[in-house]
Amino acid sequence: MTGWFDHLAIVPILLPLLAGAVLMLVDDRHPATKLAINLSAGLLLLLAAALLLARTAGGEVIVYRLGNWPTPFAITIVADRLSALMVLLTATLALASLVFSSARWDRAGPHFHSLFQFLLMGLNGAFLTGDLFNLFVFFEVMLAASYGLVLHGSGATRVKAGLHYIAINLAASALFLIGVSLIYGVTGTLNMADLAVRIPLVPAANRGLLEAGAGVLGVAFLVKAGIWPLGFWLPTTYAAAAPPIAALFAILSKLGIYVILRLTLLFFGDGSGASAHLADAWLFYGGVATIAFGATGVLASQTLARTAGFCALVSSGTLLAMIGYENAGVTAGALYYLVNSTLALGCFFLLAELVERGRAAGADVLAVTLEAFGDEEPEPPEEVGIATPATLAFLGISFACCGMLLAGMPPLSGFIGKFAMLGAALNLNGLGGDAVITAGTWGLVALVIVSGLAVLIALLRAGINIFWVSIDGDVPRVLPAEMAPILLLLLLCLALTVLAGPALAFTEATAAALHAPMGYVSAVLGRALPGGLP
Amino acid sequence: MPSDLLAVLIILPFLGSLAAAVLPLRGRTASALLAGAVALVGLGITILSYPQMVAGGMLRRDIEWLPSLGLDIVLRMNGFSWLFSVMITGIGFLVVLYSRYYMSPKDPVPRFFSLLLAFMGAMLGIVLAGNLIQLAIFWELTGVFSFLLIGYWHHNANARDGARVALIVTGAGGLALLVATLIIGHIVGSYDIDAVLAKGDAIRNSPLYLPTLLLVLFAAFTKSAQFPFHFWLPRAMAAPTPVSALLHSATLVKAGVYLLVLLWPVLSGTGPWLWIVTYVGLATLLFGAWSAIFQQDLKGLLAYSTISHLGLIVALLGMSSPLACVAAIFHIVNHATFKASLFMAAGIIDHETGTRDIRRLSGLIHFLPFTATLAMVASAAMAGVPLLNGFLSKEMFFAETAIRNPNPFVDVSLPFIAILAGGFAVAYSLRFIHGVFFGPPPTELDRVPHEPPALMRRPIEILVLICLLVGIVPGLTIGPYLATAAISILGPRTPAYSLAVWHGFNTPLLMSTIAMAGGVVLYFGLQRYLARGLEGPPLLRRFREQRLFERLLLLLSVQWARRLERQVGTRRLQPQLALLVGAAILAAALPLVGGLGALPLPSGGVDPAFALVWAAGAACAIGAAVMAKYHRLAAMMLMGGAGLATSITFVWFSAPDLALTQLLVEIVTTVLILLGLRWLPKRFHDIEIDPVLSRGARFRRARDLALAVVAGVGLTVISYAVMTRPAPQSIAQFFLDNAYALAGGRNAVNVILVDFRGFDTFGEIAVLGIVALTTFALLRRFRPAADSIDKPEQQLIQQHFEQARDDLEEGAILKDYLFVPAVVMNWLFPVIIVIAIYLFLRGHDQPGGGFVAGITMSIAFILQYLAGGTRWVESRLRILPVYWIAAGLLLALATGLGSWLFGAPFLTSAFRYLDLPVIGRVPLASALFFDLGVFVLVVGSTVLILIALAHQSSRRPMRRPVPLGERAAVEPRAAE
Amino acid sequence: MMELIVSLGIGILAGSGVWLLLRPRSFQVIIGLCLLSYAVNLFIFGMGRLRMNAPPIVDGVTGTVPADPVPQALVLTAIVIGFAMTALFLVVLLAARGLTGTDHVDGRER
Repeated sequence: MTGWFDHLAIVPILLPLLAGAVLMLVDDRHPATKLAINLSAGLLLLLAAALLLARTAGGEVIVYRLGNWPTPFAITIVADRLSALMVLLTATLALASLVFSSARWDRAGPHFHSLFQFLLMGLNGAFLTGDLFNLFVFFEVMLAASYGLVLHGSGATRVKAGLHYIAINLAASALFLIGVSLIYGVTGTLNMADLAVRIPLVPAANRGLLEAGAGVLGVAFLVKAGIWPLGFWLPTTYAAAAPPIAALFAILSKLGIYVILRLTLLFFGDGSGASAHLADAWLFYGGVATIAFGATGVLASQTLARTAGFCALVSSGTLLAMIGYENAGVTAGALYYLVNSTLALGCFFLLAELVERGRAAGADVLAVTLEAFGDEEPEPPEEVGIATPATLAFLGISFACCGMLLAGMPPLSGFIGKFAMLGAALNLNGLGGDAVITAGTWGLVALVIVSGLAVLIALLRAGINIFWVSIDGDVPRVLPAEMAPILLLLLLCLALTVLAGPALAFTEATAAALHAPMGYVSAVLGRALPGGLP
Repeated sequence: MPSDLLAVLIILPFLGSLAAAVLPLRGRTASALLAGAVALVGLGITILSYPQMVAGGMLRRDIEWLPSLGLDIVLRMNGFSWLFSVMITGIGFLVVLYSRYYMSPKDPVPRFFSLLLAFMGAMLGIVLAGNLIQLAIFWELTGVFSFLLIGYWHHNANARDGARVALIVTGAGGLALLVATLIIGHIVGSYDIDAVLAKGDAIRNSPLYLPTLLLVLFAAFTKSAQFPFHFWLPRAMAAPTPVSALLHSATLVKAGVYLLVLLWPVLSGTGPWLWIVTYVGLATLLFGAWSAIFQQDLKGLLAYSTISHLGLIVALLGMSSPLACVAAIFHIVNHATFKASLFMAAGIIDHETGTRDIRRLSGLIHFLPFTATLAMVASAAMAGVPLLNGFLSKEMFFAETAIRNPNPFVDVSLPFIAILAGGFAVAYSLRFIHGVFFGPPPTELDRVPHEPPALMRRPIEILVLICLLVGIVPGLTIGPYLATAAISILGPRTPAYSLAVWHGFNTPLLMSTIAMAGGVVLYFGLQRYLARGLEGPPLLRRFREQRLFERLLLLLSVQWARRLERQVGTRRLQPQLALLVGAAILAAALPLVGGLGALPLPSGGVDPAFALVWAAGAACAIGAAVMAKYHRLAAMMLMGGAGLATSITFVWFSAPDLALTQLLVEIVTTVLILLGLRWLPKRFHDIEIDPVLSRGARFRRARDLALAVVAGVGLTVISYAVMTRPAPQSIAQFFLDNAYALAGGRNAVNVILVDFRGFDTFGEIAVLGIVALTTFALLRRFRPAADSIDKPEQQLIQQHFEQARDDLEEGAILKDYLFVPAVVMNWLFPVIIVIAIYLFLRGHDQPGGGFVAGITMSIAFILQYLAGGTRWVESRLRILPVYWIAAGLLLALATGLGSWLFGAPFLTSAFRYLDLPVIGRVPLASALFFDLGVFVLVVGSTVLILIALAHQSSRRPMRRPVPLGERAAVEPRAAE
Repeated sequence: MMELIVSLGIGILAGSGVWLLLRPRSFQVIIGLCLLSYAVNLFIFGMGRLRMNAPPIVDGVTGTVPADPVPQALVLTAIVIGFAMTALFLVVLLAARGLTGTDHVDGRER
């Protein structure tokens, strides 16, 4: 350990903590100062994340042993491609959300900025840690901050949603503890890499207990990912939270996905003996059910924020189902899709508030019923188009892009993601390979397509009612600070489309590494270990 | 390099579109010039690249995009797509020219041209796609832009609905196409069109052929408005007329047949193809033609005739004979020419008269002689009159249908339907001409129509000229290009055919004569009926496909969706938690059933005392569960009992740290909840209990009880199983071995907390701090519920008594009976602080440590609050908990970062021993500062939470003033 | 035998906790969460196996093998976090009660 650069891996955790603590010392009466600190912290985090990605992109696995104790006894921070990618995604989304909230939301309640930074700390910690119990701790950090942020701005709706959100997650945390400790009781270790080594060696008599522990643990993560039927809280909570918070929460459900992906492949991948592929079927069918439910909700929901929440469910379900394949090709596509859907969702949560700003509630409900009955106007209106105000044009175009991204309409990255996943799922041995297509796969393909159509129909309906029907009405007052993040996120999605080649190359490398975890394991356990175990 | 030109050909329109979008809103001419130039250049490029097309040649350009997915950008132009490119760019140009005069100067026209160009680009993308995925991509793009173009006048509800329906229908088709493409890719192993064309047999013989075919057909039929997916097209007539001329006659709707022709060599010839495609085509042909006769809207008439002509093309393709395929290609071109011109003519009429309603139009030939002439020629072509292009392709169609077929049904139905449809076509063409241009001058027009500017008529003239030339000298005009196109599709299978006006007296001629005569008779026979001016065709007037679709969509996508969401989802908390518990039980039970292994019988003695402890503990737990609803205080005490049993267990099994922490935490928790109880609603046993529980409630209770029991039993079994099995080789040993040697602490637990696994503690204190902040933030907005604003009854009584007795000031009684405890607690303050410091310092070696010390410290504060009350305390000692929290975090962070100076990782500790009086030999480990951070933070957080809660009691009523009635109720008792 | 008693204790605590967790009144839920966390803490503790009078205090003298310190450390962390969360839930519960006027977890009597 020499040189400051070696500490890079832990910076994404410590930086937000520092910022959060410092922000506590600044009084709420100086919002500008707070914002400045928060923004600069956010930018630094982005920088650190970018550096981390740059360093890991080549395949290097950065292992950081806290307290300089040997693994598996120390808590290790492990940064590989996937972790780095997630951290970068978090930093990006955070920056966008922060800029957006600087317009007004950051002053809706005390200590917003500190909580914001602590949330980032929790997220990055969870993405970077290589220790199961430490993962629990950072989950709690993340959750605690998210509780605070859900309640940010107070009000009956938020508090009610918050109560449910907290109750459910407290129960889930209890499961988390049970699972971790049970696994410890059976294997005698907490380090993920060490577990990957030990799990195949667990005697048959204890295997049931081990798998029970893993199962309970899995449930805790699936709740976070919002799998059906454990995810009903998600749309309600996200819709109730302040828009920038909801946008940031787009990454929260992905955290559940991340952990499931990581641990499934690490603990129950091909090489893990008797318990291999433990959860595949459950993930697949759970995912399928989630997609179906999400699509239904998208059609059923009456406000954009809620629609967005259900879109989050759809994307979670899609990812879970894809993880269920345990196939490197599919995973690669899924990772690309994950990045895209996270950015798009974040953007959509921000947008939803802007376009619905100052619209009469229930306007959509009315319009929907008009579709069936009032679709013939008696008076022939003069055939001259109406010039759209710039703001509305911007919002409209952004809305259309978001819609196409979420529905997976070509040519944007949403389509590429779906195509990558489905293409791989239909050709598990590669294009032109002789893999048979199972009925399940057919069902999934159909479902993914239909869910896309559902999103299209729902957003089309909403978009027409917002931008075409009520055009001569109110043009929402939108500040540049609120447009900029939306633009940023959309441009990123655009870049993801244009640079789909390199992006997919990266996710393929990531997936390959995930499916052959020995590289990860040996990197973590690499050293000569005093009192050493394998 | 001509293949580079292909790239230009595709990109140019999009660039033009962007350019047009940024033009000033009133830049009508500028944007028109731009669009026209782009279209012309495109046309030029296309024409230039013709030499490569002849004799089955093609241009092809591969650009690598997503190699890993087998998806590269492939630009591919052969004779057939060349023909399409000419139509798109050529007619595109004419439409631009036309629009310049058609669109109102008040219109923000640049937006219109921008969309038009973008659509052109997308359409070119389809025909130049050398890769099925790419084709699907541009397919959807055309849908999107046509949506925007149809909805261009979106203040008009019809435009909105038309646009929406069009996008949903064609969009669904596009998704189907995508799936079909994926399947084809799976069969062939590539998405490249040339590769696919090479593997035709493989696809036709694949078990996946039928689904593929159905998906492709769905896509094509929706796009080309085939029955029963045709209904979006008439509705799309709400678009500006130039749009209809380009999209809904020449290009967009031809994309479907383009796809069918493209895949014709691969998919055609099989039974399903033959039957489905042919008869869907014929049905559409007949239905469209029949409906067209009875339209009152000019554009509606043209729309339905378009539908029927598309049906004709599809039917030809369905017949699967090469000659029919050639005829189809031929008719695609012909239809594009005359239909585009007719739309433009209709546009002029609309423009000049202000209406498109045939009922209000007549005798226009006197006002618009040129336009009338042009329209007449064009509709003659539409009707298939000799010496016009429509005639030739229709003859070929008749010839195909007339071929003897072994299947009697086909043999009879084909020619019959053909003649019938031909007759209808004549009828509606007649109606278009006769109804609009002849008869008495129009009476009910609000303005006198004039001929439009010559330039607006020019496009029509050009198109009509083409109709004539092709119709009279086909061999010299269209012949070679048609051949090129046919060869590029059929290759060696290209049949011999002759494009001549006169083939002698033969069946087709007979058929068209019959159709011609029949049509005329029909039209004049229908005069009286048409005079009644009813909407829609006689037999089918009741049948409103559009409305049907809307209803269905609404039913599925709204009503059923909402019902379903309610069915399979919930917004209530209890079921969600029940599901969660159930899922956990399931997840644990599945592997354990059979996989649990043997459970040893309980062995070894049992200490009766311990058994007793747990007998009590269990009783407390269950008691709490029972009491929690009506007797909150009792429930809390019982909970405390259970907690006590827990901490005793910790002590019993050598975990003093845990016992200590558990006890202290419990004290604080209790205080917190006590502070909160005051804000909960009063609930009295007698009124709450209802005699008979509803069945629902009884079921819920049974379910919850079952869940609770199963969860309990499950946890018992698991923990028993683990505890009775030998421990695995654990990482614990390392900590025990090295706690003292390497970390300088005897208390392994504490050393793990502050050193080995200090990072956990780090996160843990962060959690504590965050929660404190959150509670603070939330309680600042706290508003007590109306019914708990009032002061507790006891206080009211005291207050009243004090008011009654003038020698007592407010709060005197309270002070009086709290006197002794208050003094005691005040004196306790320093003592507890000393204890806290002691616990803190010994932590590293003996039970204790930062957290315990911190909690102890905060208990000291609590006592002060209890003793003196909020104001008393805060008047004496001023603590700023938020700063404490920040300080604690920063201190811990600094300690951790300190190690960076020595190039060691975060939280690396160093220590020396130090002899202090009284306390003895203490290790001065850097971990100690870390622990100090913990201490400070814990004090800060706990106190912050407590204060936040305590302050609520000093709130004044916020919502409404307390109703006098309640106070009154108090007084009598107070007076006693 | 001791193991059995402790596991039974865990089971009963957990059972009561779950039962309360599923009740409609927020106060019941918070009590339930507390009981549940007791059960979980004991469970974690048990995962290190039970050992009498062998606290993990290493003073090179006593020859007895000390108890497994890791679960104890985990329990300590769990206790602290549990405490924090209880406090938070209490406050949210009070806020909800204040804003909705009822102490039903769904914010309205059904």
